[in-house]
Amino acid sequence: MRYPKTKALFAGAALVMSLAACGDDSGGGSGGGDSVDIPVEENPDFPEGSTMAELSEAGKITIGVKIDQPGIGFQEPGADTPEGFDIEMGRIIAGQLGIEDDGSIEWKETISDNREPFLEEGEVDIVIASYSITDDRRKVVGQAGPYYVTGQQLLVREEDKDKITGPDDLAGVKVCSVEGSTSLATAQDEFGADPVPLGTYSECVDQLENSTVDVLTTDGAILLGYAAENPDELEVVGEPFSEERYGIGYQLGDTEMCEFITTTIQDAMDDGLWADAFEATLGESGVETPESPEMDECL
Amino acid sequence: MQVLIDNFGQILDGFAKTLWLLLFSGTIAAVLGTILVAMRVSPVAILRFAGTSYINVFRNTPLLLILLIIAFAAPDLGFTYEINNYFNFFFMAATVGLGLYAAAFVCEALRSGINSIPLGQAEAARSIGMTFAQSMRSVILPQAARAVIPPLASTYIALAKNTSVALAIGVTEASFIMKKLNAENAVARWQIFFGFAFGYMVIVAFIASAGALAERSGAKTR
Amino acid sequence: MADAPSDSSEAPGTTPLVALSGVNKWFGDLHVLQDINLDIARGEVVVVIGPSGSGKSTLCRAINRLEPINEGEIKLDGTLLPQEGKALAQLRAEVGMVFQAFNLFAHKTVLDNVTLGPIKVRGRNASEAREEAKKLLDRVGVGEQANKYPAQLSGGQQQRVAIARALAMHPKVMLFDEPTSSLDPEMIKEVLDVMVELANDGMTMVVVTHEMGFARTAANRVLFVADGKIVEEATPEEFFTNPTSDRAKDFLGKILQH
Repeated sequence: MRYPKTKALFAGAALVMSLAACGDDSGGGSGGGDSVDIPVEENPDFPEGSTMAELSEAGKITIGVKIDQPGIGFQEPGADTPEGFDIEMGRIIAGQLGIEDDGSIEWKETISDNREPFLEEGEVDIVIASYSITDDRRKVVGQAGPYYVTGQQLLVREEDKDKITGPDDLAGVKVCSVEGSTSLATAQDEFGADPVPLGTYSECVDQLENSTVDVLTTDGAILLGYAAENPDELEVVGEPFSEERYGIGYQLGDTEMCEFITTTIQDAMDDGLWADAFEATLGESGVETPESPEMDECL
Repeated sequence: MQVLIDNFGQILDGFAKTLWLLLFSGTIAAVLGTILVAMRVSPVAILRFAGTSYINVFRNTPLLLILLIIAFAAPDLGFTYEINNYFNFFFMAATVGLGLYAAAFVCEALRSGINSIPLGQAEAARSIGMTFAQSMRSVILPQAARAVIPPLASTYIALAKNTSVALAIGVTEASFIMKKLNAENAVARWQIFFGFAFGYMVIVAFIASAGALAERSGAKTR
Repeated sequence: MADAPSDSSEAPGTTPLVALSGVNKWFGDLHVLQDINLDIARGEVVVVIGPSGSGKSTLCRAINRLEPINEGEIKLDGTLLPQEGKALAQLRAEVGMVFQAFNLFAHKTVLDNVTLGPIKVRGRNASEAREEAKKLLDRVGVGEQANKYPAQLSGGQQQRVAIARALAMHPKVMLFDEPTSSLDPEMIKEVLDVMVELANDGMTMVVVTHEMGFARTAANRVLFVADGKIVEEATPEEFFTNPTSDRAKDFLGKILQH
């Protein structure tokens, strides 16, 4: 009960300092303790002048990730590197470029708001940050995938689980999510919820426990992680009511890069590496490993 | 531009909440700031010390930190008060936090005004038998009011812009709507930024001209 | 009026209006008031002279506790000066004060300057207070200026308003702290005339000044203060014709050359 509250405060303070701190969180090669063994290509061959060739020659890649979403992209306080399904996807792609996760991958924290600017300005090479594919975003950045499909669900307090059972019960209810997220906009614009935007999901969980908000909404995968942490108090209710297709962001127009990412992920899906990554991360909370999704073609 | 037109209703809602925040917290700051300045210039040493301590704590702590502490510590202490779903707990927390923070600056603006009044005015008031409170009310503050308007206007302009920090603790004011529109319309970032900057500029211009007006009407009676 | 006062201060059984005994004050290391003992009788006019920095202003301001003292006691009409607070405010209402810099309330008209004390402190009816204020302003010769603001008046006019403001409280004693020192020479007389008239009417006055003419005509007693001490105390005739101390002789020598 006390721990998550303190954590929320720290998370808030971390928000203030994240700009200064995110520059050098590359750390040692250990990574997550139970992460999947990912093959690293030796001397891969890429067309001259391509982004892949550049990255491969430099032996370095900067990947924008979330660090506050358990199971997807999460960094324990004090840990050197984040872990989660998105992180595994990053390792798989880096591995195909011949880059090992021994400090040569720079994991850069991105928040929902700065993913496009980071890509546009070259602050990061790719973004793997529970980054839903939308037509609108595809006008400013490239999005390869989807490598994972989930949907928006609701997390409520145990005692409210019969009162709030789905999105239709949200009208006039205080619904928390991370500021700038599509989930919050959907709850507000389509279901008439009173939105409460906070900095991180853990702050929302904290306020949910305090009863200052009544619902936390975002992608089901994330909610399951929190419900697993507090099984007696919190519960995920209802069926997913949206389809969120997570994509990997790259610079707009870099079709070669898109082909490379798509092929790499497709190979991982085909040879079971994708499923292994899922089981080691999101699967930990008890969800069954889903069918791997059909990926879009690169244009 | 189209984005701003299409979402005009939402944008107005956002700025309405910004103005509510400004009104509530501005009132708290005015009342508390006046009490604080009376403490700071009072003849009682303990009150002076308490007033100075308050200023040192609240002026030297980042606003974001004050808001986060209130939003996350208050429920732990059992305070989850709200008026309704519109003026919810987070709005109240932000209002209190902004008010406590701005009160320190209001106090210092008032104090600079009081210090600009020659000591002889206070001595004359005391020499005709006025108490400290009477001399403040009848002699010092009415004169300080004129000197106080420019720094006070600056303080309220800063407060108007600082309301945007309330976003960090879940208040859906203008900058929340801005971020929301940004997330939904990745192509129209610049238009959205400039649109909202313009909205804040209108609020600030209003405060500034109210200050100028008050200053001019003050000058006439002199 | 020249008859009674100087005797009454020595008459046994009569309490002096103002009584200072064993008063000491320091500004840091500077000992500005040294063992001051002084009794002032009802109706007496005491002029305090001395070189600048001698402590004469501090002595005057100590009487209504605008300057708190470190040692000794000051009694007003038999009552010890209270500590800061309501009681002190009440006592100050009984002591009129006129400052070197006039200190009129800049945001109030001349009339409001005079009525503020009676209305706020004495709780008097506003129209009554205004009637009396107008009479007082006429008496000091600035009745025409009643609706102007202080900044629109000359220094001499402002100082006369300040005297009227003090008189409106019906004080038992009036303190004048160098009332003519910041006036242009042509205005000094109009203020001194008002003060002489007050003295003739029997007002008890303590006047810190460099105006020797005023001391000669209006004072019952002259105090010569130097280095925080009352060096000499005498009637004006004695003091000006036959000063006893070297400090006073030296001082008078410099002053009278002008």
